[in-house]
Amino acid sequence: MKILVCIKQVPDMESRFKANSQGVWFEETDLAFRMNEYDEYAVEQAVQLKEQLGDAPEVTVLSIGPDRVVEAIKKALAMGCDRGVHVQDPAAATRDPWQIASIIASHAGDKGYDLILTGMQSQDRGSAQVGVTVAEELGYACATTLVGFAFSDGTVTAKRELEGGIKGVVRLRTPALVTCQLGLNVPRYPTLPNIMKAKKKEIQTIAVAELLKEEPLATTVSFHPPARKGGGIVLEGDVGVLVDQLLGILKDKTAVLR
Amino acid sequence: MNFELSQDHKVLQDAVRDFVTREIKPIAMQIDEEHMIPDELVRKMGEMGFLGSYLPDEYGGAGLDMLSYAIVVEEVSKACGSSGVLISAHTSLACGPIYTFGTEEQKKKWLPPLNSGAIIGCFLLTEPDAGSDAGAIATTYRREGDEYVVNGAKIFITNGGYKGTGVLFATSDRSLKHKGVSAFIIDLQTPGVEILKNEKKLGIRGSYTTAFALDDVRIPAENLLGAEGQGFKIAMDTLNGGRIGIASQALGIAEGAFERALAYSKERKQFGAPICDLQAIQFKLADMYARIETSKLMTYKAACLKDSKKSYTMESAMCKMLASEAATYVTKEAIQIHGGYGFICDYEVERMYRDAKITEIYEGTNEVQRVVISKLLLS
Ligand SMILES: Cc1cc2nc3c(=O)[nH]c(=O)nc-3n(C[C@H](O)[C@H](O)[C@H](O)COP(=O)(O)OP(=O)(O)OC[C@H]3O[C@@H](n4cnc5c(N)ncnc54)[C@H](O)[C@@H]3O)c2cc1C
Repeated sequence: MKILVCIKQVPDMESRFKANSQGVWFEETDLAFRMNEYDEYAVEQAVQLKEQLGDAPEVTVLSIGPDRVVEAIKKALAMGCDRGVHVQDPAAATRDPWQIASIIASHAGDKGYDLILTGMQSQDRGSAQVGVTVAEELGYACATTLVGFAFSDGTVTAKRELEGGIKGVVRLRTPALVTCQLGLNVPRYPTLPNIMKAKKKEIQTIAVAELLKEEPLATTVSFHPPARKGGGIVLEGDVGVLVDQLLGILKDKTAVLR
Repeated sequence: MNFELSQDHKVLQDAVRDFVTREIKPIAMQIDEEHMIPDELVRKMGEMGFLGSYLPDEYGGAGLDMLSYAIVVEEVSKACGSSGVLISAHTSLACGPIYTFGTEEQKKKWLPPLNSGAIIGCFLLTEPDAGSDAGAIATTYRREGDEYVVNGAKIFITNGGYKGTGVLFATSDRSLKHKGVSAFIIDLQTPGVEILKNEKKLGIRGSYTTAFALDDVRIPAENLLGAEGQGFKIAMDTLNGGRIGIASQALGIAEGAFERALAYSKERKQFGAPICDLQAIQFKLADMYARIETSKLMTYKAACLKDSKKSYTMESAMCKMLASEAATYVTKEAIQIHGGYGFICDYEVERMYRDAKITEIYEGTNEVQRVVISKLLLS
């Protein structure tokens, strides 16, 4: 069995962003980058499946971007993926989801992956298009926003999160692609011995020109960082209502209740 | 010259940070209040490989380098100085000398359970009448058949309360001074080893600081570490490396306090504006940050020198001195920036201020570091 996990390195979203000189994306200097949160769930699920199947599957982790994204690949290798593919693309941040998906699809096209896992969306661009587009290009079955995952006999049973906390269960025959949502699992910490072992794992570097043949379909024309925050939100009124409001805000806008 | 961490070190730093944020930060205050690091946390740190970071994997270590070790202690100490020194004393002072001076059999026997964290290590040098003057120790040993019999007392032993594996120093004849000192690996569960007390302290309250009585303690002859009479050299060499751990602990404490002070200075409003708009506060932040960065450069340099097997005595003394003084300075100023709130336990910089002080004292007081540095300059 062959598994592919697609990950993206994103800036710490607590950072203060400013537009870059072209005004179409954020300025990268001085930002700290880490693995996209949803992609961590994808990596964890792939490694859990590998463990479930007695180490048989080979798990490849792929990331597109400048050299710094190798850090995210190395983290995934330390979490248990077997090999890395770095599609070297200093201009990855300017590509639209269609181009990113096409790069992945043209890598995956002849590899025969049985299962591809991606995050539900990236924390920075947030288009939620890449996973589904890859599935479409490859002709794979696809399920999005997974909060539960089971696999047996070539069939994925996926619990999906629908609106308003409703869940639905879908079955897909492999080859399939799934996108992962918060709540799917708790990603493991890479341990020091595994970080050491990961240093010996292969990371293949591919120039983006070898895989990218497509023009963008949706070009970003401008970027607007949020205005500096004012004095925050003041809640007023009946205590019972206040508590509900506060809980709602904590749930929607912060990570404290996750 | 390149002052950036390698990608591998960044991956490690990120992983340690994640662990610390989720597993240590939320309980740092509890650790201080209860004078106790939960066993559960010690176990998890062992699983993460924090307790054998730079020891080779053939002995159960993670096989990383000294710089990785420094980063681990630093990141852990940002949240909790007690947990930082647990790692530092365990790794540098117990695993370190066994690895450097032990025979193959000794390494195979003692290191794996230490490196996994199943057993916690300590270093038993200091005595009531022998602190800075370590050559003056009065704990004696004599040979009886295939055993050594040890009598005496040890005080201020970090991690002593775990009664795990110790590296113990004793003399065959006090009049020989440092030439009479030998080192032994000791299982602290051996009969005759008695804990007199675990000290109450100003800071690093979660860390055990233990006083032992050693009464006719029988140690198998095979547990002699190095040769007889080599003990003082082993102690000094060990502390040399250990200072990088303490510098990292101090650095972490300083960074933890700085992060909080910087954030607070932006939040706290007086006279209609955040206090970070005041130049008095800005200058404090500048002084704090400059000292942190200086200490970090020297600490990482000492670690890199050790990794490349170059002499690092001077740098380890300097990084220990610089980082510990940065820690006491930065934590003091962090309280000042917090005003009255800084004096209140809920704000954590109060704990960091208490935790910082010991870093100027143990593994050679800063006066002793100055002696080391100036001796090397003038030799
Ligand atoms: C919390 C804690 C944990 C510790 N952990 C350990 C441990 O795990 N293992 C262990 O063996 N020990 C440990 N120690 C002991 C520690 O290393 C000693 O306390 C330290 O080396 C100083 O020795 P002392 O306390 O006897 O002070 P003293 O040596 O009596 O020093 C008193 C003062 O005189 C100064 N002074 C002494 N000699 C000189 C000199 N030659 N030149 C200039 N100034 C000098 C000192 O700098 C100091 O200011 C620990 C101590 C504490 C408090």
